[in-house]
Amino acid sequence: MSEIILSTEAVGKSFGKFRALSAITASFPKGKLTSIIGPNGAGKSTFFNLLSGSLVPSEGRVIFEGRDITGTPQHRFAALGIAKSFQITTVFPLLSVHENVRVALQALVSRYQIWRPRTALPELAERADALLATVGLTDRRTRPAGSLAHGEQRALEIAMALASQPRLLLLDEPTAGMSPEETRSMMDLILKLAAERTVILVEHKMKLVMGISDRLLVLHHGELLAEGTPDDIRANDTVKRVYLGQREH
Amino acid sequence: MLPPDLVAGCKQHRVLLAIAFLVVFPLLMPFKAIAVNILIYGLFALGFNMLFGTLGLLSFGHAALFGGGAYACGLAMLRLGLPWWAAILCAVVAGMALAASIGAFAIRTRGIYFAMVTLALAQCVYFIFYQWVSLTGGENGLRGITLTDIDLGPIHLNFVDPLTRYYVVAFWVALALIVLSRILASPFGAAMEAVRENEARARACGYDVRATRYLAFILSGGFCGLAGALQALHLSIVPIETLFYTTSGLVVMMALLGGMGTFFGPFVGAGVFLLLENLVSLWTVHWQIFVGASFIACVLFFPRGIWGTILLGRAR
Amino acid sequence: MDGLTPDLLVLQLFTGLALGAIYVLLALGMSLLFGMLTVVNFAHGAFYMLGAYAGLVLLGMGFNFWACLIIAPIIVGSLGMLCERFLIRHLYGRGIDYPLLLTFGLSYVLVELVRIFFGTSGYPVDTPDILQGASDIWIGYFPTYRLFVIGVAVVVLTALWLFLERTPYGLIIRAGARDPQIVRILGIDVARVWLVVFGIGTGLAALAGLLAAPLQGTSPEMGSTILAESFVVTVVGGMGSLVGAVVAGLLVGVVVAMTSLFAPEMAQVAIFALMAVVLLVRPQGFFGRAGLMS
Repeated sequence: MSEIILSTEAVGKSFGKFRALSAITASFPKGKLTSIIGPNGAGKSTFFNLLSGSLVPSEGRVIFEGRDITGTPQHRFAALGIAKSFQITTVFPLLSVHENVRVALQALVSRYQIWRPRTALPELAERADALLATVGLTDRRTRPAGSLAHGEQRALEIAMALASQPRLLLLDEPTAGMSPEETRSMMDLILKLAAERTVILVEHKMKLVMGISDRLLVLHHGELLAEGTPDDIRANDTVKRVYLGQREH
Repeated sequence: MLPPDLVAGCKQHRVLLAIAFLVVFPLLMPFKAIAVNILIYGLFALGFNMLFGTLGLLSFGHAALFGGGAYACGLAMLRLGLPWWAAILCAVVAGMALAASIGAFAIRTRGIYFAMVTLALAQCVYFIFYQWVSLTGGENGLRGITLTDIDLGPIHLNFVDPLTRYYVVAFWVALALIVLSRILASPFGAAMEAVRENEARARACGYDVRATRYLAFILSGGFCGLAGALQALHLSIVPIETLFYTTSGLVVMMALLGGMGTFFGPFVGAGVFLLLENLVSLWTVHWQIFVGASFIACVLFFPRGIWGTILLGRAR
Repeated sequence: MDGLTPDLLVLQLFTGLALGAIYVLLALGMSLLFGMLTVVNFAHGAFYMLGAYAGLVLLGMGFNFWACLIIAPIIVGSLGMLCERFLIRHLYGRGIDYPLLLTFGLSYVLVELVRIFFGTSGYPVDTPDILQGASDIWIGYFPTYRLFVIGVAVVVLTALWLFLERTPYGLIIRAGARDPQIVRILGIDVARVWLVVFGIGTGLAALAGLLAAPLQGTSPEMGSTILAESFVVTVVGGMGSLVGAVVAGLLVGVVVAMTSLFAPEMAQVAIFALMAVVLLVRPQGFFGRAGLMS
């Protein structure tokens, strides 16, 4: 068993009386691509939000690199080494594509300097260009981010997530709403990124992630149904019944 | 709508252009007193817009920052016997301190709550100043702030002369413009834009949204405090109404009228507002009805304001 | 403090409740508008003032006070509906700041119109004969009119509650507040629901103004200070919560009354201190949903 980068100890989340997620204990090995799958309403997004700090768990703990990060404010996550993309595309729509990435880079260097011009940080501009090249958006650099196509915005989001040089990258349905072509290039990009760091992916299209994932977690009705390699999951009868079976109807 | 190249060119040198404008402006204005008023309210509106335009936070409590600055300047001169320029610096500090205390509560809220809470807290400041008669003069306002002569080593200026007064005020406004422009161009300026554009993403990038807003609110307080001080020196009195929330409303209107998404919009708004007020009040005492009506028209038809519409066109 | 007996305290408590009743009516209207339309009505104080002036005009035309209590809110509420229909409606979906700014401009227009037609100085309003004097409420004598104000608030609250909970129209309004889409799917004209809600909200403000008129007289500016106070009530009670509006309204009234007993000059400041404490301890207000504020 390889080193564990992130783990949860019996984390759960309730909204009022509704129990969205109950006591999930799971661990994510370092350097691997793990996908969290499950039908709609399985609690994937809730689980993702607990991992990424958007939600504070009602119970349990989240451990990152041996540190308890439960309840850490969202804005500290980038400095911890965790970055994420949202399920709904979130870029800075009126800023240029280049400025989007530059601002993301700046967040780790300078947040409250009011007297230096931002152009006095030229290395950020260069690194922004490098990141844009990584996600293939170099020719869009001066366009306002809001004017990009959906797939391009998602790629931009990933470039922004990479700005903090995260050791752990969390992606919430990165291919949602994408054309097959866009989906393919996004998958290529994810594979490329996963070669260098740990990636956790939430996806409800099982087929999409079976081929690329090292490991899978299957959620159902807010509970952890199964976990293992893609082969384990394919062979798992319970998963077949509740998840695969459901898809065939 | 102006050609985008021209707009971009002007944007680069906006501070220089603004200062050039400040120099020639009084020569175009028949009444110097209005020109001074436009400078003061223009600065106030710029300080306000730093929150609303740059960060998207609508404050209805800026009367406390402006009025607080005015009182601080007056009190520093009357009660502490400080020279006028030191009193102005006191006002800047007072504006920031008031912003820090109001902000400590208000920054916990967002959107319209922020508007309501800032309004309520500023009213609290109003009532404290209203009741504290021994210090502030209460209902009668703070009277007797006199500045007639300014000695700068060998140079002697007569503050009573309208044109001299204008250029003294313009000097401080130009200084504020330079500072504001630097702040907007700084990394913190970028952080403010990021927070306005997308809070969740800014947070994920690593910006502390609340701290960013808080700092911006405090800085905004400094500009408004300065504007208040200039107002106190200009009028020689601080009326208690300066602190009432209608003053906050006034600056909101000015910023919206001019165009809050632009650097100079609030200044233009203050100018147009005060000129209109002057014209309309010549033939009716009920000028406020026109103020209200033109404000409604602005919200309905020109949400980008006058300057914003000139720069960017009408469609939103 | 020799004169400070328990009886005096209880009497002052009643004074606070009467004041609170006016806050409650104002804040109910405000919460209704916010909860259902997400409009923060900065002209709420102006409608409050219009209520008092409408009453003044009606009394001058020979209507009795009881008729005024019904007719004045209807007139002002109708005006509110006109404003919704022709001004505010265009701003739904354009960001929450715009209705706020528009109603702020509207308050200028309304206040100035009143100044044009009624002059800048205020008028006293007589308490109706039957409500003059004081009544014995066991622990002492208490101004009858203030008791009456409390009574009206209770009646209005009950009526509003019955309307929202027990009538089909109330059901639609509550559903519309939760999800306008669903109401539209059901084939109900949401725009009309909004219109009615706006009428009720501004009508309640007018009623509050009319009730306050015999206590403090009328003036074009009477709505401007109370606007800030009704914001405090709404924030303390929790935005959009009707129960919150009631509890916070009464609480603020009592706080003002009690502070004026001990330190009259601090009465106004006490309101805002209360709000500051609530914001620190429970930012969403007593009955507000958590997270709505931040």
